Amino acid sequence: MTTSTTITTSSKTLTREEADAFGRELDELRREVAEDLGQRDVDHIRAVIKAANYAETAGRLLLAFGFGPVTFALGAGALGVSKILENMEIGHNVMHGQYDFARDPALSGRAYEWDNVCDGGDWRHSHNYEHHTFTNILGKDRDVGYGFLRVSEEQRWHPSHLAQPFTASLLAINFQWGVATHDLRLDELKRDPEARATIGTRARPFLEKAGWQLFKDYAFYPALSLWNAPRVLAGNLLANLGRNLWTFAVIFCGHFPEGVRVFHADEAANESRGQWYLRQIAGSANIEGGKWLHLLTGHLSHQIEHHLFPELPAARYPEMAPRVREICERHGQAYNTGSFAKQLGSVAKRLVKLALPSPRASRASRASRSAKVVAPETATTSTSTSRAAA
Amino acid sequence: MTNTSSLSSTGTHGTHASPVISRRRLVPRMARGLFLDRQLAFWRKELGLAPAGLTRARVVAVVKETADVRTFLLRPGAGWRRHQAGQWVSLEVEVDGVRLRRCYSLSSGPSDLFVSITVKRVPGGRVSGWLHDNVRVGDMLSIGPAMGEFVLPETGRSKPTPPTGLLLLSGGSGVTPVMSILRELEVRGPIEDVVFVHHARSRADVPFAADLAWIARRNPGLRVIIHCDDEGVRGFDEARFTEAVPDFARRETYLCGPAPMMVRVEETWLRAGATAKLRRERFAAPIVTRTQGDDEKLVQVRLSAAGRTVTAGGEGNLLEQLERAGLTPKFGCRIGICQTCKCRKTSGTVLDLISGAISSEPDEDIRLCTSVARSDLELGL
Repeated sequence: MTTSTTITTSSKTLTREEADAFGRELDELRREVAEDLGQRDVDHIRAVIKAANYAETAGRLLLAFGFGPVTFALGAGALGVSKILENMEIGHNVMHGQYDFARDPALSGRAYEWDNVCDGGDWRHSHNYEHHTFTNILGKDRDVGYGFLRVSEEQRWHPSHLAQPFTASLLAINFQWGVATHDLRLDELKRDPEARATIGTRARPFLEKAGWQLFKDYAFYPALSLWNAPRVLAGNLLANLGRNLWTFAVIFCGHFPEGVRVFHADEAANESRGQWYLRQIAGSANIEGGKWLHLLTGHLSHQIEHHLFPELPAARYPEMAPRVREICERHGQAYNTGSFAKQLGSVAKRLVKLALPSPRASRASRASRSAKVVAPETATTSTSTSRAAA
Repeated sequence: MTNTSSLSSTGTHGTHASPVISRRRLVPRMARGLFLDRQLAFWRKELGLAPAGLTRARVVAVVKETADVRTFLLRPGAGWRRHQAGQWVSLEVEVDGVRLRRCYSLSSGPSDLFVSITVKRVPGGRVSGWLHDNVRVGDMLSIGPAMGEFVLPETGRSKPTPPTGLLLLSGGSGVTPVMSILRELEVRGPIEDVVFVHHARSRADVPFAADLAWIARRNPGLRVIIHCDDEGVRGFDEARFTEAVPDFARRETYLCGPAPMMVRVEETWLRAGATAKLRRERFAAPIVTRTQGDDEKLVQVRLSAAGRTVTAGGEGNLLEQLERAGLTPKFGCRIGICQTCKCRKTSGTVLDLISGAISSEPDEDIRLCTSVARSDLELGL
């Protein structure tokens, strides 16, 4: 077996043919759900849009016309929840084209623009295309540590990583700005003259979007509320902060907990559809929780299902998850899931641990990294696993 | 959405035009930047108002014309502008969460109390079937403005004199705009020297039969001829027709019917050297659907944004074919994940390679990298 035709994970290693058989089962599941899409899905997203709009209006009114700390907290909270719903369940999912089947211009993946500082066009490129196509491939998926965090042993250590518990916290607080500047590839400016030459044009959509967003939350709405302007400004700031922290936590739990693996470009070269599916599963992690947690994460708590079926309405993932898990079990594939606390704790621990230099794991040992992953009994690890456990 | 046109205009001109933004452009741009446009659209919907560009119309009656044809009488709300006889509207419905648009000729005259569309149930038709099965008196439908050039010439403001010497020629569902014209003629005054020729499968399949009889009785100048498939020749027959209307070539003619009928009529008029007198309304774009074996055959792809037509075909998906034709459409993953190559298909039939679905829906977004053409296409590229 050569690396170009097989994929090694903590799960059972599948040949290309086995991977394709596995993939066909997922294709069948996709087809089944795609054919069932209809009123239920449209009703769901419209209900969420309704909730987000009412929460936003309530929040802004409470901030503008309320007095005292209680209405302030309620107002900022309602606005924060509305931003979370809009960014996660509505924006992220609609922009994936999940509701294009409905042909409603208000739900068009190509036209939708979400309510944060990241330009929709930039996002569609860096996320829908780069991240979802090249998921967790080092050097190709820039979501692996976003160019400045070390989230895997496979990444070369650099002294700047020593500060990553601090820089990651800064990112959490300002998460929307991290997301918004991601597609600008600012980290390449230093070494790439071409990147420097084009940054002006490339940054234009971001600057325009960010300008309007700053104006909206920190000038327009405060000004509308006249004497309550400082209160509204503070409330908007708080709502944005809350949304930033929440989305940071959810996104980091999707790809950086213990047990999620990264890939080298040669491993993913010429991969089949089935092998692409395998990579999506090995590169993602789920969060367990109730209905409300799933909704507030935009169903990214089902990161695995999202990566398998990015174009299916996310609200369908909870009902697909048991079947995906069953298919994974039968084919000996690990399915990484855990409570929010567990996954977030794991991410935090790894961010600290990986801040310090460690030898890069070898190809063979990488396979066995996680013992805690819900691995089916049939899972076999490659032969030289003992060393990596250290 | 409400301001797609202003959105694209600021998008294209914003960077190139003068730095001074005129007030006319600033307002929509601000509305978009602050999401006020979206909120306005949301609250309009919450209040039960029609989306911009559409009129809400209440169904006041449903008339069963024949076994498979129904007329829906509508009372349009605010924003409706009186139509001209022979025009059509686009009707937007939501069937199981999917928004679908169809164009229907108005069968009512402009002076009628209500606006009406007359819909034949198409076998397997999603919209016509839904209208027949679900729409009841009191329901609301969304319609666009009346459009179309298949109209009677407008005459002066005061009581217009009806044109004489007309021929109204129709087949099947093509009778609807012609009926609207006939109704308008009746309102304009006594009908003089007008021939109405309709083609139907059988007597039982003629819509508006009672109305036609009523108008004919009141207007001796109107001759109504119905040709039925089960009483003689199928469809339009030149010999039978020229015998019934020997002076057709001198008549201003309004023609609407199924494509094969229209082709035969056009040939007849061409031979008579009277093509200039023939006004035509096509109620469905002819779609030639190819079968799987025809993959190597070429299709014409009209690119509406670029304003040109290319020939595509051969191996691979639509993205690869367009690239071979010298185009550079936007693309990303090329394997159906990222949606970067998604574009608007205005008309035509495509097969989606991932879902296996074949769709002829007008105005739908398709992924080039997972689509194969099954007919000539028009794309928004």
